Amino acid sequence: MNEYLLLTVAILLPAFSALLCYALRNKAVRSFIVVLTSLAMFGVAGGFVNLLLASGGTLKIGVDAHIIGWVIKVLDLLLMGYILYIGFTLRKYLVVVLTFLQLIPLILFEGGLLFGTPHESEIAFVIDYLSLIMILLVSIIGPIITIFATGYMEEHEHHLGLKKSKQPRFFMILFIFLAAMNALVMTDNISWMYFFWEVTTLCSFLLISHDGNSESVKNALRALWINLSGGVAFISAIIAIYSVYGSLSITEIIEKTKTGGFVGIIPLAIGLLCFAGFTKSAQFPFQSWLLGAMVAPTPVSALLHSSTMVKAGVYLVVRFAPAYANTMLANIVAVVGAFTFLAGSAIAISQSNGKRVLAYSTIANLGLIICCAGIGSKVAIGAAILLMIFHAVSKGLLFLCVGTIEQEIGSRDIEDMQGLAKRMPFTTFVIVVGMISMLLPPFGVLITKWLAIEASVNSPLVLLCIVLGSAFTVVFWSKWIGIILTMSYKNSYKAEKLDFSVRSALSLLLVGALAASVLIMPLYNIFIAPHINSLNLADKAAGLAGSNGGVWLQGVGNITTGGFAAIPVFLLLFALMLLIPYFMRKTKAERIKPPYLCGENVDNDVRGLQFISPADKVDVVVVRNYYLTGMFGEGNLTLWCNALAGAIILVMFGVVI
Amino acid sequence: MGNNLVQNIIIAVIWIVAAPILGGILSGIDRKITARMQNRFGPPIMQPFYDFFKLLGKERITVNQTQMVYVMGHLFFAIASLVMLVLKQDLLMLMFILAFSTVSLIMGAMSVRSPYSKIGAQREIIQMMAYEPVLILMVVGVYLTTKSFMISSVFSESTGPLLYNLPLVFFAFLYVLTIKLRKSPFDFSTSHHGHQELIKGLTTEFSGPQLALIELTHWYDLIILLGLITLFFAKPIWVGIIIALVSYFLELVIDNISARVTWRWMIKATWLIGIGAAMINIVWLYLKMKV
Repeated sequence: MNEYLLLTVAILLPAFSALLCYALRNKAVRSFIVVLTSLAMFGVAGGFVNLLLASGGTLKIGVDAHIIGWVIKVLDLLLMGYILYIGFTLRKYLVVVLTFLQLIPLILFEGGLLFGTPHESEIAFVIDYLSLIMILLVSIIGPIITIFATGYMEEHEHHLGLKKSKQPRFFMILFIFLAAMNALVMTDNISWMYFFWEVTTLCSFLLISHDGNSESVKNALRALWINLSGGVAFISAIIAIYSVYGSLSITEIIEKTKTGGFVGIIPLAIGLLCFAGFTKSAQFPFQSWLLGAMVAPTPVSALLHSSTMVKAGVYLVVRFAPAYANTMLANIVAVVGAFTFLAGSAIAISQSNGKRVLAYSTIANLGLIICCAGIGSKVAIGAAILLMIFHAVSKGLLFLCVGTIEQEIGSRDIEDMQGLAKRMPFTTFVIVVGMISMLLPPFGVLITKWLAIEASVNSPLVLLCIVLGSAFTVVFWSKWIGIILTMSYKNSYKAEKLDFSVRSALSLLLVGALAASVLIMPLYNIFIAPHINSLNLADKAAGLAGSNGGVWLQGVGNITTGGFAAIPVFLLLFALMLLIPYFMRKTKAERIKPPYLCGENVDNDVRGLQFISPADKVDVVVVRNYYLTGMFGEGNLTLWCNALAGAIILVMFGVVI
Repeated sequence: MGNNLVQNIIIAVIWIVAAPILGGILSGIDRKITARMQNRFGPPIMQPFYDFFKLLGKERITVNQTQMVYVMGHLFFAIASLVMLVLKQDLLMLMFILAFSTVSLIMGAMSVRSPYSKIGAQREIIQMMAYEPVLILMVVGVYLTTKSFMISSVFSESTGPLLYNLPLVFFAFLYVLTIKLRKSPFDFSTSHHGHQELIKGLTTEFSGPQLALIELTHWYDLIILLGLITLFFAKPIWVGIIIALVSYFLELVIDNISARVTWRWMIKATWLIGIGAAMINIVWLYLKMKV
């Protein structure tokens, strides 16, 4: 009975809190609901961990599929109706067309006009380790971002000068979003999954357009139509699969494709599912919706980029990875991901808008996840799942930081963050740790990049993309860290004032990011290794193993072919890096000098802002990063990258037809 | 396991002590040879050590509180990659850690508001962007030959000299070595000469003990890079060492006969020649493997 309770709470509690947030329009009450719901969701996540570990790997939860099936059918129609309404009122007829393209097949299929009433399995929810990891991401990071939002939105609306608060609506959508995500990753019924998929599409439209100005509505519409095109692919795939297998159970579908069922129309159907994943995960050429989503308030960006929305796309691709492993489709999926990783990382170099850098980095990392899913070896799938975790935590953290900084300094431009440590030492510390966790050893994202390269050695094209892409990631992160840490001498630092909700959200995610990296070994051994073993991949190598303080790659016959030990040693090195200079200063203070400009500094100012140039002229020093726009500019690259990515996707469909 | 651990620690300690001594001597020889090539007499071979201890004894001056942190990072992560090399660990991770050593120095150079140091740092980042892919491709070349990322596999019985399978990768590696050692024509993030446009580039704002430690790290780097060259001919190891020393001499010659190029030219040339050569080699290994 316990699992029924958890299931109900995980899906219905956020939905119920959403209604409460909308109905009770008082700020204190809302904060109370948010905190309470968050705690409950943490509890649910913990409960699922316990249950799943006790059950040995899969939880099958049977429900009355008939009744719930009908509820979902009705909600499906309401949802489509609402999207049509949006399309008509905003006169975006592309949205209308794409909705009809889903609505008609949906009615034909669900109404039983195509193959009779579709058979829905009683075992509607199947939770395995992959679902569990997604539940953890959604139910831990999601609520933390919601807590952050309680403080942030207050300030946000203060800036906008709204007369009537739009927060009740905002929090309602946030919670519906979380409920839909939880349901999406738990259900085993692919047509229900499709419904929740479309709910997240609608929620992201509503959240992106939340501020209601013309730019946000325009970008939200773009997000809507791109994701709707993914939805069209999704429903077509469902019908195609049902026409062959007569089943809607995801477990069954994957099992059948693995055992010789990957023939006829099925490759095309799986290709369409991957396509749906690409649109949702903003792979090139669909990246523009995620970039446009930046106009929304920060918690929305944080949510879209970390645990929800884009992760739904990669979840689908990774979920179906065993179904298309070792096929030509898999090879091309790997190329699509690898190319996006390369293109996203390259364009990120030219961006000086902090949020856009983060967005391109998200796109690139999602590309890497999809690429690993395409490679499909044990190591690669392990890397994909690990990266889903690390990326979600770190990116959530970074977005919240940039939002906090933006509210304080009034800009999201990287160049304006110079000397941030003086104004916001706490946030500076958090954002720098966040960026380091995206870039440096021994943190998780780097480990997954390393695994990705080691997994891709047998496909030169994919390899080249990942190798170049990872060199580019070093460039844009180190430029940004460098500018934030630019500082002159200051005697003492005092942490800035932040709203309690903001500070606690940042601290929680910071701890999460560090913990995920430090605990990579148990994380892998307990949650990921059993999942990979249960997939029965054709890969003969033993795969990954966590031991001796690190992660090891094992080839055929358990021969170690690569590995990284002593993650704790590297953490010790970081500690020493900080402690030795600190104690050196304690024993004997250094002499403080201003930096050398191009002449004598004005007033011998230690900050080094101005100097005296020839003819006693005072010159102000401006130091900026290189952005190499001639080479990596968005304007130069986007068109070509989109064309190339589009071509790769066409090749993909050409192969599966 | 216990014995192994003790043995590993002893090997690591010996190398941590020996590497800077060897590196210092090599860089003394470097200065001597360079001077002779320029018709100068040159300093004594031990000069780098004299410089090092003199810098170490100088008064500690700093621009902000954090500079020393980055210098420490630069040094520690170079030592960490040396340890990974002598303990024959994962070659790819070694490259990543070596890269972080450089990133740490870049952070240090960027942490001050000095235009020289900032531009030096930006140029160093560009250099990294150029050579890092080639280093990783080298690792992949080694994998395709030995079927393992562990350096220990290079020394295993069944592997012949890597050079036979990886001639173009070796060439590409030598090419990027010039960049990694910040030698001419690719020395634009720094400059050894007082009156040039970057003063000292990256290291403009470091002084005294900080500079001494950066020099120390440089010696470690030198040994790591020469060690990596040695891998191409690991059996018998003395042939590898000779190849490494000859390559180093070649670098000195190139340093002395070439003038600095622009960064645009460098990126294009490195990607085209370096990545091109390495990829050609990797593709043929891949095709050979498929048959």
